[in-house]
Amino acid sequence: MKWLAIRLMSPVGLLVLWEVLVRLSGSPRAPSPSTVFVAAGELIASGELLAGLSTSIVRVLAGFVVACLVAVPLGLVMGAVRSVERNLDPVVESFRPVAAIAILPLVILWLGTGNTAAIAIVAYAAFFPVLVNTISGVKNVEPSLLRAAHTMGLSPLTRLHAVLLPAAMPSILVGMRIALGVAWTAIIAAELAVGAKSGSSGGIGQMMFVFYAYSIQLSGIVVCMAAVGVVAFCLDRLVSLCLTFITPWSNAR
Amino acid sequence: MRTAPAGRPPRNARAHGVLVYFRTMLIFIGIWFVGAMLISNRLLLPSPTSVFWALLDAARDGDLAFHAFTSLLRLVVAMLAAAVIGLPLGLVIGLSRSWEDAFELPIELLRPIAGIAWIPLALFMFGIGNTLPVFIMFYTALFPLIIGTAAGVRGTDRRLLAAARTMGVTGMPLVLHVVLPSALPSIIVSLRLAVAAAWTAVVAAELVGAPSGLGYAIEYFRSMLATDHVIAFIVVIGILGSLTDKLLRLAETWLTPWSRDRVLP
Repeated sequence: MKWLAIRLMSPVGLLVLWEVLVRLSGSPRAPSPSTVFVAAGELIASGELLAGLSTSIVRVLAGFVVACLVAVPLGLVMGAVRSVERNLDPVVESFRPVAAIAILPLVILWLGTGNTAAIAIVAYAAFFPVLVNTISGVKNVEPSLLRAAHTMGLSPLTRLHAVLLPAAMPSILVGMRIALGVAWTAIIAAELAVGAKSGSSGGIGQMMFVFYAYSIQLSGIVVCMAAVGVVAFCLDRLVSLCLTFITPWSNAR
Repeated sequence: MRTAPAGRPPRNARAHGVLVYFRTMLIFIGIWFVGAMLISNRLLLPSPTSVFWALLDAARDGDLAFHAFTSLLRLVVAMLAAAVIGLPLGLVIGLSRSWEDAFELPIELLRPIAGIAWIPLALFMFGIGNTLPVFIMFYTALFPLIIGTAAGVRGTDRRLLAAARTMGVTGMPLVLHVVLPSALPSIIVSLRLAVAAAWTAVVAAELVGAPSGLGYAIEYFRSMLATDHVIAFIVVIGILGSLTDKLLRLAETWLTPWSRDRVLP
Protein backbone atom coordinates (compact mmCIF):
# COMPACT_ATOMS: atom_id res chain seq x y z
CA MET A 1 0.00 0.00 0.00
CA LYS A 2 2.74 2.37 1.04
CA TRP A 3 4.68 1.44 -2.07
CA LEU A 4 1.73 2.32 -4.28
CA ALA A 5 1.24 5.59 -2.43
CA ILE A 6 4.84 6.62 -3.04
CA ARG A 7 4.61 5.75 -6.71
CA LEU A 8 1.37 7.66 -7.25
CA MET A 9 2.41 10.60 -5.11
CA SER A 10 4.58 12.41 -7.65
CA PRO A 11 2.35 12.14 -10.75
CA VAL A 12 -0.74 13.16 -8.80
CA GLY A 13 1.25 15.91 -7.11
CA LEU A 14 2.45 17.21 -10.46
CA LEU A 15 -1.09 17.24 -11.86
CA VAL A 16 -2.39 19.15 -8.84
CA LEU A 17 0.52 21.60 -9.04
CA TRP A 18 -0.16 22.13 -12.73
CA GLU A 19 -3.88 22.79 -12.11
CA VAL A 20 -3.14 25.18 -9.24
CA LEU A 21 -0.51 27.09 -11.21
CA VAL A 22 -2.88 27.55 -14.15
CA ARG A 23 -5.71 28.68 -11.85
CA LEU A 24 -3.36 31.13 -10.13
CA SER A 25 -2.02 32.54 -13.39
CA GLY A 26 -5.59 33.30 -14.45
CA SER A 27 -4.70 32.92 -18.10
CA PRO A 28 -7.81 31.78 -19.99
CA ARG A 29 -5.82 30.01 -22.71
CA ALA A 30 -3.35 28.06 -20.60
CA PRO A 31 -4.23 24.37 -20.57
CA SER A 32 -4.91 22.80 -17.19
CA PRO A 33 -5.54 19.12 -16.42
CA SER A 34 -9.30 19.69 -16.27
CA THR A 35 -9.51 21.48 -19.63
CA VAL A 36 -7.22 18.87 -21.14
CA PHE A 37 -9.54 16.08 -20.02
CA VAL A 38 -12.52 17.89 -21.53
CA ALA A 39 -10.63 18.48 -24.77
CA ALA A 40 -9.55 14.85 -24.86
CA GLY A 41 -13.16 13.75 -24.50
CA GLU A 42 -14.25 16.02 -27.32
CA LEU A 43 -11.43 15.03 -29.66
CA ILE A 44 -11.98 11.34 -29.08
CA ALA A 45 -15.76 11.62 -29.44
CA SER A 46 -15.49 13.55 -32.72
CA GLY A 47 -13.04 10.97 -34.08
CA GLU A 48 -10.52 13.67 -35.01
CA LEU A 49 -7.84 12.33 -32.74
CA LEU A 50 -8.16 8.79 -34.00
CA ALA A 51 -8.16 9.97 -37.62
CA GLY A 52 -4.99 11.99 -37.11
CA LEU A 53 -3.28 9.20 -35.21
CA SER A 54 -4.17 6.53 -37.74
CA THR A 55 -2.86 8.66 -40.62
CA SER A 56 0.47 9.04 -38.81
CA ILE A 57 0.66 5.41 -37.74
CA VAL A 58 -0.02 4.12 -41.25
CA ARG A 59 2.74 6.38 -42.58
CA VAL A 60 5.16 5.20 -39.95
CA LEU A 61 4.43 1.55 -40.62
CA ALA A 62 4.71 2.00 -44.39
CA GLY A 63 8.04 3.82 -44.11
CA PHE A 64 9.26 1.32 -41.56
CA VAL A 65 8.50 -1.62 -43.85
CA VAL A 66 10.30 0.09 -46.75
CA ALA A 67 13.32 0.73 -44.53
CA CYS A 68 13.42 -2.88 -43.32
CA LEU A 69 13.09 -4.27 -46.85
CA VAL A 70 16.19 -2.35 -47.89
CA ALA A 71 18.22 -2.33 -44.69
CA VAL A 72 17.96 -5.98 -43.65
CA PRO A 73 19.24 -7.54 -46.92
CA LEU A 74 21.88 -4.83 -47.26
CA GLY A 75 22.94 -5.33 -43.65
CA LEU A 76 23.16 -9.09 -44.12
CA VAL A 77 25.45 -8.66 -47.11
CA MET A 78 27.53 -5.96 -45.43
CA GLY A 79 27.88 -8.02 -42.30
CA ALA A 80 28.78 -11.23 -44.10
CA VAL A 81 31.13 -9.92 -46.79
CA ARG A 82 34.00 -7.87 -45.42
CA SER A 83 34.88 -6.09 -48.66
CA VAL A 84 31.30 -4.92 -49.24
CA GLU A 85 31.23 -3.46 -45.76
CA ARG A 86 34.57 -1.72 -46.18
CA ASN A 87 33.50 -0.16 -49.43
CA LEU A 88 30.02 0.96 -48.42
CA ASP A 89 30.82 2.02 -44.89
CA PRO A 90 32.06 5.55 -45.79
CA VAL A 91 28.75 6.40 -47.48
CA VAL A 92 26.69 4.96 -44.63
CA GLU A 93 28.75 6.77 -42.03
CA SER A 94 28.43 10.02 -43.98
CA PHE A 95 24.65 9.89 -44.02
CA ARG A 96 24.05 8.43 -40.57
CA PRO A 97 24.67 11.64 -38.59
CA VAL A 98 22.33 13.59 -40.90
CA ALA A 99 18.97 13.62 -39.16
CA ALA A 100 15.84 12.80 -41.12
CA ILE A 101 14.46 16.23 -40.26
CA ALA A 102 17.46 17.87 -41.88
CA ILE A 103 16.67 16.33 -45.25
CA LEU A 104 12.99 17.27 -44.90
CA PRO A 105 13.34 20.46 -47.02
CA LEU A 106 14.97 18.41 -49.79
CA VAL A 107 12.25 15.77 -49.59
CA ILE A 108 9.60 18.48 -49.82
CA LEU A 109 11.31 19.79 -52.95
CA TRP A 110 11.45 16.34 -54.51
CA LEU A 111 8.24 14.71 -53.37
CA GLY A 112 5.96 17.50 -52.20
CA THR A 113 4.14 17.40 -48.88
CA GLY A 114 1.96 14.33 -49.30
CA ASN A 115 2.13 10.75 -48.12
CA THR A 116 5.12 9.85 -50.32
CA ALA A 117 7.26 12.51 -48.68
CA ALA A 118 6.17 11.40 -45.21
CA ILE A 119 6.97 7.77 -45.97
CA ALA A 120 10.36 8.75 -47.41
CA ILE A 121 11.27 10.65 -44.25
CA VAL A 122 10.22 7.75 -42.04
CA ALA A 123 12.08 5.24 -44.20
CA TYR A 124 15.25 7.34 -44.03
CA ALA A 125 14.98 7.70 -40.26
CA ALA A 126 14.34 3.98 -39.69
CA PHE A 127 16.95 2.79 -42.18
CA PHE A 128 20.12 3.40 -40.18
CA PRO A 129 19.26 1.74 -36.85
CA VAL A 130 18.09 -1.38 -38.70
CA LEU A 131 21.16 -1.44 -40.96
CA VAL A 132 23.71 -0.89 -38.20
CA ASN A 133 22.16 -3.50 -35.93
CA THR A 134 21.82 -6.03 -38.73
CA ILE A 135 25.50 -5.62 -39.60
CA SER A 136 26.60 -6.00 -36.00
CA GLY A 137 24.23 -8.95 -35.53
CA VAL A 138 25.71 -10.79 -38.50
CA LYS A 139 29.28 -9.96 -37.48
CA ASN A 140 28.72 -11.28 -33.98
CA VAL A 141 27.38 -14.65 -35.09
CA GLU A 142 29.35 -17.39 -33.36
CA PRO A 143 32.07 -18.30 -35.91
CA SER A 144 31.93 -21.95 -34.92
CA LEU A 145 28.29 -22.07 -36.02
CA LEU A 146 29.25 -20.85 -39.46
CA ARG A 147 32.20 -23.22 -39.63
CA ALA A 148 29.96 -26.12 -38.64
CA ALA A 149 27.50 -25.17 -41.37
CA HIS A 150 30.39 -24.99 -43.81
CA THR A 151 31.69 -28.39 -42.76
CA MET A 152 28.30 -29.94 -43.27
CA GLY A 153 28.33 -28.64 -46.81
CA LEU A 154 25.32 -26.32 -46.60
CA SER A 155 24.82 -24.11 -49.63
CA PRO A 156 25.30 -20.37 -49.08
CA LEU A 157 21.55 -19.77 -49.30
CA THR A 158 20.75 -22.43 -46.71
CA ARG A 159 23.53 -21.08 -44.50
CA LEU A 160 21.91 -17.69 -44.76
CA HIS A 161 18.43 -18.64 -43.67
CA ALA A 162 19.25 -21.58 -41.41
CA VAL A 163 22.25 -20.18 -39.54
CA LEU A 164 22.99 -16.53 -40.17
CA LEU A 165 19.48 -15.09 -40.02
CA PRO A 166 18.32 -16.82 -36.82
CA ALA A 167 21.59 -16.02 -35.10
CA ALA A 168 21.45 -12.37 -36.11
CA MET A 169 17.70 -12.06 -35.48
CA PRO A 170 17.84 -10.73 -31.91
CA SER A 171 20.13 -7.90 -32.95
CA ILE A 172 18.01 -7.15 -36.04
CA LEU A 173 14.89 -6.92 -33.90
CA VAL A 174 16.62 -4.60 -31.44
CA GLY A 175 17.48 -2.41 -34.41
CA MET A 176 13.85 -2.49 -35.53
CA ARG A 177 12.70 -1.48 -32.07
CA ILE A 178 15.01 1.53 -32.03
CA ALA A 179 14.04 2.32 -35.62
CA LEU A 180 10.34 2.36 -34.87
CA GLY A 181 10.87 4.82 -32.02
CA VAL A 182 13.00 7.09 -34.19
CA ALA A 183 10.52 6.82 -37.05
CA TRP A 184 7.62 7.88 -34.82
CA THR A 185 9.55 10.96 -33.69
CA ALA A 186 10.50 11.75 -37.27
CA ILE A 187 6.93 11.63 -38.54
CA ILE A 188 5.77 14.02 -35.80
CA ALA A 189 8.56 16.43 -36.67
CA ALA A 190 7.88 16.13 -40.39
CA GLU A 191 4.15 16.72 -40.00
CA LEU A 192 4.78 19.67 -37.70
CA ALA A 193 7.19 21.27 -40.14
CA VAL A 194 4.94 20.56 -43.11
CA GLY A 195 1.95 21.87 -41.16
CA ALA A 196 3.89 25.07 -40.81
CA LYS A 197 4.15 25.22 -44.59
CA SER A 198 0.42 24.90 -45.32
CA GLY A 199 -0.82 21.86 -47.18
CA SER A 200 -3.36 19.48 -45.71
CA SER A 201 -1.73 16.10 -45.36
CA GLY A 202 -3.25 15.40 -41.96
CA GLY A 203 -1.57 13.41 -39.27
CA ILE A 204 -1.21 14.05 -35.58
CA GLY A 205 1.76 16.39 -36.00
CA GLN A 206 -0.14 18.69 -38.28
CA MET A 207 -3.16 18.55 -36.00
CA MET A 208 -0.95 19.95 -33.26
CA PHE A 209 0.29 22.69 -35.51
CA VAL A 210 -3.24 23.65 -36.48
CA PHE A 211 -4.19 23.83 -32.80
CA TYR A 212 -1.22 26.11 -32.25
CA ALA A 213 -1.40 28.34 -35.27
CA TYR A 214 -5.07 28.59 -36.21
CA SER A 215 -7.48 27.62 -33.49
CA ILE A 216 -5.07 28.41 -30.62
CA GLN A 217 -6.49 25.56 -28.57
CA LEU A 218 -3.67 24.63 -26.24
CA SER A 219 -5.58 21.90 -24.44
CA GLY A 220 -5.86 20.20 -27.82
CA ILE A 221 -2.07 20.36 -28.20
CA VAL A 222 -1.60 18.71 -24.82
CA VAL A 223 -4.08 15.98 -25.77
CA CYS A 224 -2.09 15.36 -28.96
CA MET A 225 1.16 15.25 -27.00
CA ALA A 226 -0.29 12.67 -24.65
CA ALA A 227 -1.54 10.68 -27.63
CA VAL A 228 1.94 10.83 -29.18
CA GLY A 229 3.35 9.45 -25.95
CA VAL A 230 0.78 6.68 -25.69
CA VAL A 231 1.38 5.56 -29.28
CA ALA A 232 5.16 5.63 -28.79
CA PHE A 233 4.75 3.50 -25.70
CA CYS A 234 2.43 1.02 -27.41
CA LEU A 235 4.66 0.70 -30.49
CA ASP A 236 7.64 0.00 -28.25
CA ARG A 237 5.75 -2.62 -26.25
CA LEU A 238 4.49 -4.22 -29.45
CA VAL A 239 8.00 -4.63 -30.84
CA SER A 240 9.38 -5.92 -27.56
CA LEU A 241 6.53 -8.45 -27.46
CA CYS A 242 7.50 -9.53 -30.97
CA LEU A 243 11.08 -9.75 -29.74
CA THR A 244 10.26 -12.25 -27.01
CA PHE A 245 7.84 -14.08 -29.30
CA ILE A 246 10.09 -14.45 -32.35
CA THR A 247 13.39 -14.89 -30.56
CA PRO A 248 12.59 -16.40 -27.17
CA TRP A 249 16.22 -17.55 -26.86
CA SER A 250 17.63 -14.05 -26.72
CA ASN A 251 17.70 -11.93 -23.63
CA ALA A 252 18.31 -8.69 -25.47
CA ARG A 253 16.44 -5.83 -23.89
CA MET B 1 42.36 -12.81 -42.73
CA ARG B 2 39.23 -12.47 -40.62
CA THR B 3 40.47 -11.38 -37.26
CA ALA B 4 42.51 -8.23 -36.98
CA PRO B 5 45.41 -8.29 -34.54
CA ALA B 6 44.76 -6.52 -31.28
CA GLY B 7 45.90 -2.97 -30.71
CA ARG B 8 46.78 -0.43 -33.32
CA PRO B 9 46.37 -1.59 -36.91
CA PRO B 10 49.59 -1.61 -38.93
CA ARG B 11 50.37 1.47 -40.90
CA ASN B 12 49.68 0.14 -44.38
CA ALA B 13 46.31 -1.23 -43.25
CA ARG B 14 45.38 2.27 -42.11
CA ALA B 15 46.58 3.74 -45.37
CA HIS B 16 44.48 1.17 -47.18
CA GLY B 17 41.46 2.18 -45.10
CA VAL B 18 41.94 5.81 -46.08
CA LEU B 19 42.29 4.77 -49.71
CA VAL B 20 39.04 2.78 -49.58
CA TYR B 21 37.31 5.72 -47.92
CA PHE B 22 38.32 8.17 -50.63
CA ARG B 23 37.60 5.70 -53.40
CA THR B 24 34.05 5.14 -52.12
CA MET B 25 33.38 8.82 -51.63
CA LEU B 26 34.74 9.61 -55.09
CA ILE B 27 32.45 7.00 -56.64
CA PHE B 28 29.52 8.40 -54.66
CA ILE B 29 30.25 11.95 -55.77
CA GLY B 30 30.72 10.71 -59.34
CA ILE B 31 27.27 9.09 -59.31
CA TRP B 32 25.81 12.27 -57.85
CA PHE B 33 27.52 14.30 -60.58
CA VAL B 34 26.16 12.10 -63.36
CA GLY B 35 22.72 12.10 -61.73
CA ALA B 36 22.73 15.88 -61.57
CA MET B 37 23.73 16.08 -65.24
CA LEU B 38 20.95 13.69 -66.24
CA ILE B 39 18.28 15.50 -64.24
CA SER B 40 19.72 18.85 -65.29
CA ASN B 41 17.40 20.76 -62.99
CA ARG B 42 19.48 22.70 -60.52
CA LEU B 43 16.45 23.20 -58.30
CA LEU B 44 15.94 19.49 -57.80
CA LEU B 45 19.47 18.19 -57.74
CA PRO B 46 22.38 20.63 -57.92
CA SER B 47 25.70 19.12 -58.90
CA PRO B 48 28.40 18.48 -56.30
CA THR B 49 30.44 21.37 -57.61
CA SER B 50 27.66 23.92 -57.13
CA VAL B 51 27.10 22.59 -53.60
CA PHE B 52 30.81 23.02 -53.00
CA TRP B 53 30.65 26.63 -54.21
CA ALA B 54 27.58 27.24 -52.06
CA LEU B 55 29.48 25.89 -49.08
CA LEU B 56 32.43 28.12 -49.86
CA ASP B 57 30.10 31.06 -50.37
CA ALA B 58 28.40 30.50 -47.01
CA ALA B 59 31.78 30.09 -45.34
CA ARG B 60 33.07 33.30 -46.86
CA ASP B 61 30.18 35.60 -45.91
CA GLY B 62 30.10 34.25 -42.35
CA ASP B 63 26.63 32.68 -42.60
CA LEU B 64 28.02 29.26 -42.02
CA ALA B 65 30.04 30.13 -38.94
CA PHE B 66 27.17 32.16 -37.47
CA HIS B 67 24.47 29.51 -37.83
CA ALA B 68 26.75 26.62 -36.90
CA PHE B 69 28.00 28.50 -33.85
CA THR B 70 24.45 29.37 -32.79
CA SER B 71 23.28 25.76 -33.04
CA LEU B 72 26.35 24.40 -31.26
CA LEU B 73 26.05 26.96 -28.48
CA ARG B 74 22.42 25.96 -27.96
CA LEU B 75 23.49 22.33 -27.89
CA VAL B 76 26.11 23.02 -25.23
CA VAL B 77 23.75 25.07 -23.06
CA ALA B 78 21.00 22.46 -23.31
CA MET B 79 23.38 19.59 -22.58
CA LEU B 80 24.80 21.40 -19.55
CA ALA B 81 21.31 22.00 -18.19
CA ALA B 82 20.33 18.40 -18.87
CA ALA B 83 23.49 17.12 -17.19
CA VAL B 84 23.04 19.34 -14.13
CA ILE B 85 19.53 17.96 -13.59
CA GLY B 86 19.79 14.50 -15.15
CA LEU B 87 23.00 13.21 -13.58
CA PRO B 88 22.14 13.85 -9.90
CA LEU B 89 18.58 12.65 -10.49
CA GLY B 90 19.82 9.47 -12.17
CA LEU B 91 22.27 9.00 -9.31
CA VAL B 92 19.66 9.15 -6.55
CA ILE B 93 17.22 7.05 -8.57
CA GLY B 94 19.90 4.43 -9.03
CA LEU B 95 20.96 4.55 -5.39
CA SER B 96 17.68 4.54 -3.56
CA ARG B 97 14.63 2.42 -4.01
CA SER B 98 12.19 5.01 -2.67
CA TRP B 99 13.52 7.74 -4.98
CA GLU B 100 13.11 5.31 -7.84
CA ASP B 101 9.52 4.60 -6.82
CA ALA B 102 8.79 8.29 -6.57
CA PHE B 103 10.23 9.23 -9.94
CA GLU B 104 9.66 6.19 -12.07
CA LEU B 105 6.07 6.88 -13.01
CA PRO B 106 6.46 10.53 -14.09
CA ILE B 107 9.59 9.63 -16.05
CA GLU B 108 7.91 6.69 -17.74
CA LEU B 109 4.89 8.87 -18.54
CA LEU B 110 6.89 11.77 -19.97
CA ARG B 111 9.65 9.84 -21.72
CA PRO B 112 7.59 8.49 -24.65
CA ILE B 113 6.48 12.03 -25.52
CA ALA B 114 9.12 13.05 -28.05
CA GLY B 115 10.83 16.38 -27.42
CA ILE B 116 9.74 17.38 -30.88
CA ALA B 117 6.08 16.98 -29.88
CA TRP B 118 6.65 19.76 -27.35
CA ILE B 119 7.41 22.28 -30.09
CA PRO B 120 3.87 23.72 -30.50
CA LEU B 121 3.35 24.11 -26.76
CA ALA B 122 6.88 25.48 -26.36
CA LEU B 123 6.15 28.00 -29.11
CA PHE B 124 3.29 29.24 -26.98
CA MET B 125 5.33 29.25 -23.77
CA PHE B 126 8.60 30.72 -25.03
CA GLY B 127 7.82 32.23 -28.42
CA ILE B 128 10.32 32.12 -31.26
CA GLY B 129 13.88 32.58 -30.08
CA ASN B 130 16.74 30.94 -28.26
CA THR B 131 14.75 29.41 -25.42
CA LEU B 132 12.63 27.15 -27.60
CA PRO B 133 15.41 25.09 -29.22
CA VAL B 134 17.33 24.94 -25.96
CA PHE B 135 14.25 23.67 -24.12
CA ILE B 136 13.49 21.06 -26.77
CA MET B 137 17.09 19.80 -26.74
CA PHE B 138 17.17 19.81 -22.95
CA TYR B 139 14.01 17.74 -22.79
CA THR B 140 15.27 15.32 -25.44
CA ALA B 141 18.61 14.86 -23.70
CA LEU B 142 17.25 14.58 -20.17
CA PHE B 143 15.70 11.12 -20.30
CA PRO B 144 18.60 9.17 -21.82
CA LEU B 145 20.86 10.80 -19.22
CA ILE B 146 18.63 9.95 -16.24
CA ILE B 147 18.05 6.39 -17.37
CA GLY B 148 21.65 5.73 -18.38
CA THR B 149 23.00 7.12 -15.13
CA ALA B 150 20.51 5.19 -13.01
CA ALA B 151 21.27 1.97 -14.91
CA GLY B 152 25.01 2.53 -14.50
CA VAL B 153 24.66 3.19 -10.78
CA ARG B 154 22.43 0.15 -10.33
CA GLY B 155 24.92 -1.98 -12.22
CA THR B 156 27.74 -1.33 -9.77
CA ASP B 157 29.36 -4.61 -8.80
CA ARG B 158 27.97 -5.72 -5.42
CA ARG B 159 31.36 -7.11 -4.45
CA LEU B 160 32.99 -3.72 -4.96
CA LEU B 161 30.38 -2.11 -2.75
CA ALA B 162 30.75 -4.80 -0.12
CA ALA B 163 34.54 -4.51 -0.22
CA ALA B 164 34.38 -0.74 0.17
CA ARG B 165 31.93 -1.03 3.06
CA THR B 166 34.15 -3.60 4.74
CA MET B 167 36.95 -1.09 4.62
CA GLY B 168 34.70 1.45 6.26
CA VAL B 169 33.96 3.53 3.16
CA THR B 170 30.36 4.69 3.29
CA GLY B 171 28.20 7.62 2.33
CA MET B 172 29.56 10.30 -0.01
CA PRO B 173 33.07 8.84 -0.42
CA LEU B 174 31.52 5.52 -1.43
CA VAL B 175 29.45 7.24 -4.11
CA LEU B 176 32.35 9.37 -5.34
CA HIS B 177 35.08 6.73 -5.40
CA VAL B 178 33.21 3.50 -6.11
CA VAL B 179 29.76 4.06 -7.57
CA LEU B 180 30.54 6.94 -9.93
CA PRO B 181 33.66 5.46 -11.56
CA SER B 182 31.84 2.20 -12.05
CA ALA B 183 28.84 3.97 -13.60
CA LEU B 184 30.98 6.25 -15.77
CA PRO B 185 31.01 4.11 -18.95
CA SER B 186 27.23 3.86 -18.88
CA ILE B 187 26.94 7.60 -18.21
CA ILE B 188 29.16 8.46 -21.15
CA VAL B 189 27.28 6.16 -23.51
CA SER B 190 24.02 7.79 -22.44
CA LEU B 191 25.64 11.18 -22.95
CA ARG B 192 26.51 10.22 -26.51
CA LEU B 193 22.95 9.02 -27.11
CA ALA B 194 21.60 12.22 -25.58
CA VAL B 195 23.79 14.47 -27.73
CA ALA B 196 22.85 12.58 -30.88
CA ALA B 197 19.14 12.84 -30.06
CA ALA B 198 19.44 16.51 -29.12
CA TRP B 199 21.24 17.29 -32.37
CA THR B 200 18.32 15.76 -34.28
CA ALA B 201 15.86 17.76 -32.21
CA VAL B 202 17.67 21.07 -32.68
CA VAL B 203 17.21 20.92 -36.43
CA ALA B 204 13.49 20.27 -36.03
CA ALA B 205 13.12 23.00 -33.42
CA GLU B 206 15.01 25.56 -35.49
CA LEU B 207 13.14 24.57 -38.63
CA VAL B 208 9.90 25.66 -36.97
CA GLY B 209 10.69 28.10 -34.23
CA ALA B 210 13.99 29.96 -34.27
CA PRO B 211 15.30 32.97 -36.16
CA SER B 212 18.79 31.49 -36.49
CA GLY B 213 20.72 28.25 -36.47
CA LEU B 214 21.40 25.51 -38.97
CA GLY B 215 17.80 24.28 -39.10
CA TYR B 216 16.63 27.81 -39.79
CA ALA B 217 19.26 28.22 -42.50
CA ILE B 218 18.07 25.08 -44.28
CA GLU B 219 14.47 26.23 -44.15
CA TYR B 220 15.41 29.74 -45.28
CA PHE B 221 17.35 28.53 -48.31
CA ARG B 222 14.58 26.09 -49.17
CA SER B 223 12.10 28.95 -49.27
CA MET B 224 14.57 30.82 -51.51
CA LEU B 225 14.74 27.68 -53.69
CA ALA B 226 18.53 27.65 -53.30
CA THR B 227 18.86 23.89 -53.22
CA ASP B 228 22.65 23.98 -53.42
CA HIS B 229 22.75 25.96 -50.18
CA VAL B 230 20.22 23.59 -48.60
CA ILE B 231 22.46 20.62 -49.36
CA ALA B 232 25.54 22.53 -48.22
CA PHE B 233 23.96 23.14 -44.81
CA ILE B 234 22.76 19.53 -44.59
CA VAL B 235 26.39 18.50 -45.12
CA VAL B 236 27.43 20.84 -42.33
CA ILE B 237 24.82 19.36 -39.98
CA GLY B 238 26.11 15.87 -40.77
CA ILE B 239 29.75 16.82 -40.27
CA LEU B 240 29.11 18.62 -36.98
CA GLY B 241 26.95 15.74 -35.75
CA SER B 242 29.65 13.20 -36.45
CA LEU B 243 32.37 15.48 -35.04
CA THR B 244 30.56 15.88 -31.72
CA ASP B 245 30.19 12.11 -31.50
CA LYS B 246 33.89 11.64 -32.32
CA LEU B 247 34.74 14.13 -29.57
CA LEU B 248 32.61 12.27 -27.05
CA ARG B 249 34.13 8.98 -28.16
CA LEU B 250 37.57 10.45 -27.54
CA ALA B 251 36.40 11.54 -24.10
CA GLU B 252 35.12 8.02 -23.59
CA THR B 253 38.45 6.36 -24.31
CA TRP B 254 40.22 9.01 -22.27
CA LEU B 255 37.95 8.88 -19.21
CA THR B 256 37.11 5.20 -19.27
CA PRO B 257 39.91 3.41 -21.11
CA TRP B 258 38.65 0.08 -19.77
CA SER B 259 35.31 0.22 -21.56
CA ARG B 260 35.06 -1.06 -25.09
CA ASP B 261 34.47 1.40 -27.87
CA ARG B 262 30.86 0.98 -28.86
CA VAL B 263 29.04 2.08 -31.98
CA LEU B 264 25.75 3.71 -31.18
CA PRO B 265 22.62 2.14 -32.64
